[in-house]
Amino acid sequence: MSGGARGGVRVAADIGGTFTDVALIHPDGRIATRKVPSTPADYAGGVVEGIRQILAAEGVPVGAVTEVLHACTVATNAILEGKGARTGLITTAGFRDVLELRRIRVPRLYDPLYRKPPVLVPRTLRLEVAERLDFAGRVLEPLDEDSVVRAIDRLAGEGVAAVAVCLLHSYANPAHERRIGALLRERLPEAFVSLSVDVLPEMREYERTSTTVINAYVGPAVRTYLESLVARLAAEGLPERLFMMHSAGGIVDARTVMRRPAQIVECGPAAGVLGARHRGAAAGILDVIAFDMGGTTAKASLIENGALSRTDEYEVGGGISLSSKLSKGGGYALKLPVIDISEVGAGGGSIVWIDKAGALKVGPHSAGAVPGPACYEAGGTAPTVTDANVVLGYLNPRALAGGSVPISAAASRRALRETVAEPLGLSLDEAAHGVHELVTTVMTRAVKSVSTYRGRDPRDFALLAFGGNGGIHAASLARTLGIARIVVPPGAGVFSALGLLYAEIETGAAAAHPRRLDAADPEALEAAYAALEEQVLAELGETRARLVLTRAADLRYAGQAFELTLDLDAGRDLGLAPRIFAEAHRRSYGYDLPGNPVEIVTLRVTGRLPRDATAPGHGRAVATPRETRRVYFGRDLGAHDTPVIGRADLGPVPRPGPLVIEEYEGTTLVPPGCTACLDPDGNILIALGPGPAGGVTQRSLAHA
Amino acid sequence: MRDIDLIRLEVMKNAFDTIADEMALILMRAAHSPIVRDSMDFSTALCDPEGQTLAQGVTTPMHLGSFYDAMRHLIVRYAGDVHEGDTFIGNDPYAAAGQHLPDFYIVQPIFLDGRLVGWATTVAHHADVGGIVPGSNALGATEIIQEGIRVPFLKLEERGRPDAKLWEILRLNVRVPDQLTGDLNAQIAACGAARRGLTELMTRYPVDEVLAYAEELHDYTERLTRAEIREIPDGTYRFTDHIDGLGESPEPIVFEVAVTVAGDAITIDWEGTSGQVEGGVNTPLPFTKAGVYTALRSIMGSELPNCHGFTRAVTVAAPLGTVVNAVYPAPTGARGITGYRIIDCVIAALAPVLPDRVTADGPGGASVPAIGGWHDGRPFVFSETLMGCWGAALGHDGQEGVPHMGANQANVPIELIEANFPIRVRRYGIAPDTGGPGRQRGGHALLREYEFLGESGVLTLRSDKRDFPPHGLDGGEAGSGPINRVLSGDTERTLPVLVTVPVRLRRGDVFLHVTPSGGGWGDPLTRDPALVLQDVIDGTVSRAAARARYGVVIAGEDRPCLDLAATAALRWDGRRMP
Repeated sequence: MSGGARGGVRVAADIGGTFTDVALIHPDGRIATRKVPSTPADYAGGVVEGIRQILAAEGVPVGAVTEVLHACTVATNAILEGKGARTGLITTAGFRDVLELRRIRVPRLYDPLYRKPPVLVPRTLRLEVAERLDFAGRVLEPLDEDSVVRAIDRLAGEGVAAVAVCLLHSYANPAHERRIGALLRERLPEAFVSLSVDVLPEMREYERTSTTVINAYVGPAVRTYLESLVARLAAEGLPERLFMMHSAGGIVDARTVMRRPAQIVECGPAAGVLGARHRGAAAGILDVIAFDMGGTTAKASLIENGALSRTDEYEVGGGISLSSKLSKGGGYALKLPVIDISEVGAGGGSIVWIDKAGALKVGPHSAGAVPGPACYEAGGTAPTVTDANVVLGYLNPRALAGGSVPISAAASRRALRETVAEPLGLSLDEAAHGVHELVTTVMTRAVKSVSTYRGRDPRDFALLAFGGNGGIHAASLARTLGIARIVVPPGAGVFSALGLLYAEIETGAAAAHPRRLDAADPEALEAAYAALEEQVLAELGETRARLVLTRAADLRYAGQAFELTLDLDAGRDLGLAPRIFAEAHRRSYGYDLPGNPVEIVTLRVTGRLPRDATAPGHGRAVATPRETRRVYFGRDLGAHDTPVIGRADLGPVPRPGPLVIEEYEGTTLVPPGCTACLDPDGNILIALGPGPAGGVTQRSLAHA
Repeated sequence: MRDIDLIRLEVMKNAFDTIADEMALILMRAAHSPIVRDSMDFSTALCDPEGQTLAQGVTTPMHLGSFYDAMRHLIVRYAGDVHEGDTFIGNDPYAAAGQHLPDFYIVQPIFLDGRLVGWATTVAHHADVGGIVPGSNALGATEIIQEGIRVPFLKLEERGRPDAKLWEILRLNVRVPDQLTGDLNAQIAACGAARRGLTELMTRYPVDEVLAYAEELHDYTERLTRAEIREIPDGTYRFTDHIDGLGESPEPIVFEVAVTVAGDAITIDWEGTSGQVEGGVNTPLPFTKAGVYTALRSIMGSELPNCHGFTRAVTVAAPLGTVVNAVYPAPTGARGITGYRIIDCVIAALAPVLPDRVTADGPGGASVPAIGGWHDGRPFVFSETLMGCWGAALGHDGQEGVPHMGANQANVPIELIEANFPIRVRRYGIAPDTGGPGRQRGGHALLREYEFLGESGVLTLRSDKRDFPPHGLDGGEAGSGPINRVLSGDTERTLPVLVTVPVRLRRGDVFLHVTPSGGGWGDPLTRDPALVLQDVIDGTVSRAAARARYGVVIAGEDRPCLDLAATAALRWDGRRMP
């Protein structure tokens, strides 16, 4: 199995909306990447084609490939486009509307015309069965199997392809759900069945129901897709065992994903963050803020001491939100561990506009790829962030993407002059720089929501920038946050595919274990952890000896409703746990409550198969024709004739800004007062020196 | 004018918003009581040195406009006596310009280099603050003294030193002291986040520049608000609405509003509204203003910043001693219901001129059941806010599972209720055939049924709209009123909408509440029959109601389908014989 991957060639494919990115790593650590068009009608086709092409280009025989890794948007798209399976839901009598009523809150205040996202299972397919448990799992009313059979037959008549089952308090006693599962397999063998006790055995009925329904809703599409992909890979002579990235940043066997497809909903962005962690660690930087700026959104995620931050408060299709954790209700609740990524509507295509009181606004509307920024001259006349970057000289005035997309700088100037500069009485430079500064503040919120909101100081981290626009905005973002170091890795435009190569086989299991910490019985705790470990071993098909197993627990003060997850082993740590929890609470909230009892809520086990450390390969640097162009850095720093160079033109000796580094995958800006150099792995390292750009005063630099 | 850069202004606004959001997030995550942590009945704000709100966390709109009066009160009372490390606490509507006793303000001044540069303010609805009923929402209170502990603005901490005596008094006067302590600590933690956030901002930009932009933010918001008001046709728009009244023989409480739009200013006058009553539904003026601001913001198209500048274009007038401007000793415990009615009244008054910005009337806010008592030798207080649905809009049906505009609050998970209280929830869902018929149908009511499992307990309830159900618009029919029933053994009893005498509960008693629904929009006989059929398929409209109320005939035994000929005939008759 994957252990055999060592010494072989490994291939990764990440499907995006427009392109499928493929990356390959040779046994000696050299890396190659390739982009092929995505094939929405049959995504597997694009994946196979991409792999074929990269193998041919690298001269690697199919037989040399030992591992194929994959991330895809099949699950996400099914939800966002409302094209998942016709799904039924079986619930406890009296509660079929829990799914539709949600948690009541809406993501927008003061909007009487707000519309909720449509419910994934219509009311007529939400059927009730007679049974009832209490919170301790005691049976108040036994399962009425006749009512189950009636419900199943009714769903069969409705032609459902998937069925979700979520009964009240099933996390405390799975028996009724399991019995319904057995009856479903008996009477509706073709349907994709999703039991809440298998998907999310945790308290809170709406979140559990919603997660189970998502799992069922995307199940048939994911299963069909993966079965087809596995068969076609095998037909090519590639390994039959396919590894899929899941949203929490590990990889698992595709067969596991077919059972719990909801776990891959956010796998693409997760792969990017994973790449950031790996790149950072290889460069000896363990505390990293991964910053990914593309065409419509900017994303941020925190990596602390080499560890990813995870959350289980996620909504699929929640839309772009400035305060993602507060503005709940806009999407479909998915309470599975995902890498904690915050997202704001600020990308290269974000539209710039003036409101009724004359204030400048950026986004959240985006010009997208079509019609695109004004400079594309493809029908878009509204100025965008990219147009501002063209005006400022940050982007090449003739063509983007290494010369492959010709643009008109005059169109950018015209759009910005008419919409921003003239109405606000500013020079064109000032107007464009204002846009740049404003989009920086919007992105600041994304970074803050994963750092300061959680008691972390961004100044303790390096900013690792990727995505098409990451390198242009990294310096101002870092300035605003007081971050001193920026890393721009090679391959920033295929970063998710690269990230896949660094993923480790990893999965987790969780179970409710509600009790007071001081009343916890070490033996019961040990038994519960052991059961979870067995579950993880079975899911990964691995032996205990090869895996690194870690135990954690969600703890809170008695009375609270939100938990902090801490490493916690049974016997060893139990005595220390209150103190460790108090410290974590102080760090997150600024205080602790001595004497207040601490509760265990959920136990978690993670199993991981460590990979041999592979030296990251060098990005293939393309020499760019050198030139000098005028670049404007704001009122304080003014305009400079700035050298435009390629990544390969940088060396180990820090070179002072201003500099513009142009590559096919993106552009990196090094403002005056900063220095840039190339490290042995091909990363651009930017050190921020003193300088007032981006509204930074000398005073804050004393902090940084 | 100051040297203001409109771009820098937007930068500052984002920074202020980020601070207020962070406060809200920390408060929610650290809180202890279900009403704060799950329902999210709290608000956070960052204020300038004058106590004017600069930004508010995205939680409870009705709180927003109330902060300023409380802050003015505090600032005047403590002139010259505000120090770094002070934490203020207060709740009294009359002695602290508060809202009602369960809402405790926790406020901290923010200093930088010895200079007062802002205020961190929070308000949270506490599970219990004493008084004659668990949950402190006594509708039957005749004067505020009966409603719980009254606290003027006092220093809970002075220069960083907690006042142990005050903490002790507070804990002694409430039924669930640990929840009070936990939630107050969560509020203090949120203030700490604001102090860190603002001082950090002021190390990045000079203090005077930040404060200048804070001023400009108010001015900018005022300009934006006035631009919005100019788009509303000038005129005076009136509306009359009611609260059913208190107890077993309710007397309607009348709300009269006159909304006058003149150019870029707007005046809301409550002349003619009922006098204050001996029951907890009176509101102090700050809360009335907050309701008005919420309504006006919701009918304006722009993304108006949540700051004080908004209020400058709006004048609120209310005669002293009315339910909307109560004076001591009027009780205010259940003032939320009046706040919701204030919002609904203003929206209804403007509906004829802004039909594309409003919906027909809804359930009038949250129903608030509270059950308290003793179980396993310990006191417990359970209370939640039950919402909701919306009235129909010009372009679509009213939705179910949405909050009232005034309070973006969540429901409490049933599994959490059952794990923490001697209560079993037997049913929770959509109540069919309740939404007001119309071309667009009003949202259906929600029902929730509780079984009491404790040894002894009492139930109170705040609901409304039985006598004056949610109105429709443009020929749409009214929605339905609430249903409040207690089944004890074989005896069923219907409760008043506003329960003034707590109802004794015994083990096994069942309480059923159905919220009011939403009003319809347009003539129901013009509703697309396909939509009626869909409602029948979904089981939210019965075949009988489809026929009687929409003139739509549904055929088909197992698979409902439309009988279009019979429908046309029925609708023809319906029009000829109104």
